[in-house]
Amino acid sequence: MTRRTIIAGALVLMIGSCLLAIAQERKETASAAVPATPQKAAALADGASAGSPTAATHGRATTRVLHESAMRIEGEKRFRANCGRCHMAPHKFPPRTMATIVRHMRVRAMITDEDMQLILHYMTQ
Amino acid sequence: MLYAYLNSCLTVTRRLATRDLHPLCLRLKGWHSGLLRPVFLLLIILILSPFFCASRLQAQTPEPQEIKPVPLLTGSTGFITTFDGGEPHLGPIVTSVLLVPMGERWMMESRATFESDLAEPPGVSGFHGVVRKEVDYAQLDFIANPYLTVTLGRFLTPFGIFNERLYPVWIRNLQTDPLILPIGIGPSNASTGAMLRGGFKATSNFNFNYAVYFSALSTVTPVNSDRFAGGRAGIFVPKARLEIGGSFQHLLQDERSNLFGFHLIWQPQSLPLDIRAETARSRRGSGYWLESAYRLSQVPFWRDALRRTQVVARMQQSFPGALPSDAVASVNTNMFEFGLNYYLMDGWRATSSYGRQFSFGGNKNVWTIGMTYRFVLPLGREGAE
Repeated sequence: MTRRTIIAGALVLMIGSCLLAIAQERKETASAAVPATPQKAAALADGASAGSPTAATHGRATTRVLHESAMRIEGEKRFRANCGRCHMAPHKFPPRTMATIVRHMRVRAMITDEDMQLILHYMTQ
Repeated sequence: MLYAYLNSCLTVTRRLATRDLHPLCLRLKGWHSGLLRPVFLLLIILILSPFFCASRLQAQTPEPQEIKPVPLLTGSTGFITTFDGGEPHLGPIVTSVLLVPMGERWMMESRATFESDLAEPPGVSGFHGVVRKEVDYAQLDFIANPYLTVTLGRFLTPFGIFNERLYPVWIRNLQTDPLILPIGIGPSNASTGAMLRGGFKATSNFNFNYAVYFSALSTVTPVNSDRFAGGRAGIFVPKARLEIGGSFQHLLQDERSNLFGFHLIWQPQSLPLDIRAETARSRRGSGYWLESAYRLSQVPFWRDALRRTQVVARMQQSFPGALPSDAVASVNTNMFEFGLNYYLMDGWRATSSYGRQFSFGGNKNVWTIGMTYRFVLPLGREGAE
């Protein structure tokens, strides 16, 4: 009975702390003005360049730069969230080495396909 | 589609509950009665659900990687000195991991460990011991789609998180094994058989990951394994950096018992803190461990030294089960440990810890001090291709 009570208490504490963390994260995310995904960043850039036809070339270049920048930011975010779960985040490796490591970690740590692509993009910049 | 899928899941669940099943399902009567059958079927339904969705989402599959991966020889090496109840042990260890990617979807991976436990036998001067050589795993992975990876061969048993993800000396924060590590991972920490696993984004807020596996009996030492089937499922909330999950295993030999486990990893974004916990319950022993590791990077003085320093604390407890076990302590055991790690450079770390173990068999101190190093050696041209 005592053991069950302890387990139930621990579960309640863990679930409570999870909910608290999620609520805190949502609050922080809402206050941040950084685009959440590369797609959103690209869409923002598209919107900015759509107004003036004379600035079309400049707009496309801006879109690409913003897209790259957003991909890198998102990649770093995914890198810290996923790799740091188990170990200290390593320094960068050469691209082909990183491609192998990311594939290995996709299987070992079960990171998602999208995370894998973004982390690889970030780590090979 | 989601509504239809959930509806069909509910229908199946209802039919399972009322036992209004198709005649073919009656063949499953040989399964253990009670809770196991519906739980197992529900687990299978949950596990298979992404594959049905996967066929409709093929268009979302990202393009293949442009960078061609290169074979790698990676791994770690360490030298850990342990004072276990005042008795010194020297523990050199070399672990090599061979990764051979093949094409865009295949990967062969293997890990071999060479380690020794050198101790001073009574009446003999000097440290003596033998080198243990072991192939921890040798597996072939096929990445079928973004939701599924098929693994064949000998693989680390995915029960809990420590064995599969935290075991290497360069990753673990404390060099001593958790007391409950032997629960659910088989006699040599690995399984021989097949495994389905994967991780995917379930909603915008969390990812889902799973692994289901079957292991065959092998009595060939040191690659022995038990006959069991099981699974692990978890969710990861990237924004909160929180992962929680559970493990289940059904032993298909001896007492044919069930094993359960639960794990948690949390890294608050505002603090350089790692919190990890794991519980395991079986008929041969139960217990839990809870570990926190804090990197002193936010301390406002001696920044250069303290940002490389990590303090660790772990508490754990194990209880003997109804059946005897060689691996889990035969009496109630508590252990508290405190560690200090210093990261000299990327992959190179000095590690130390002090632990006090309390048990009916006698209390003792456990000290460890050592160095660990992780290496990565490409077996081909490294640059982009």
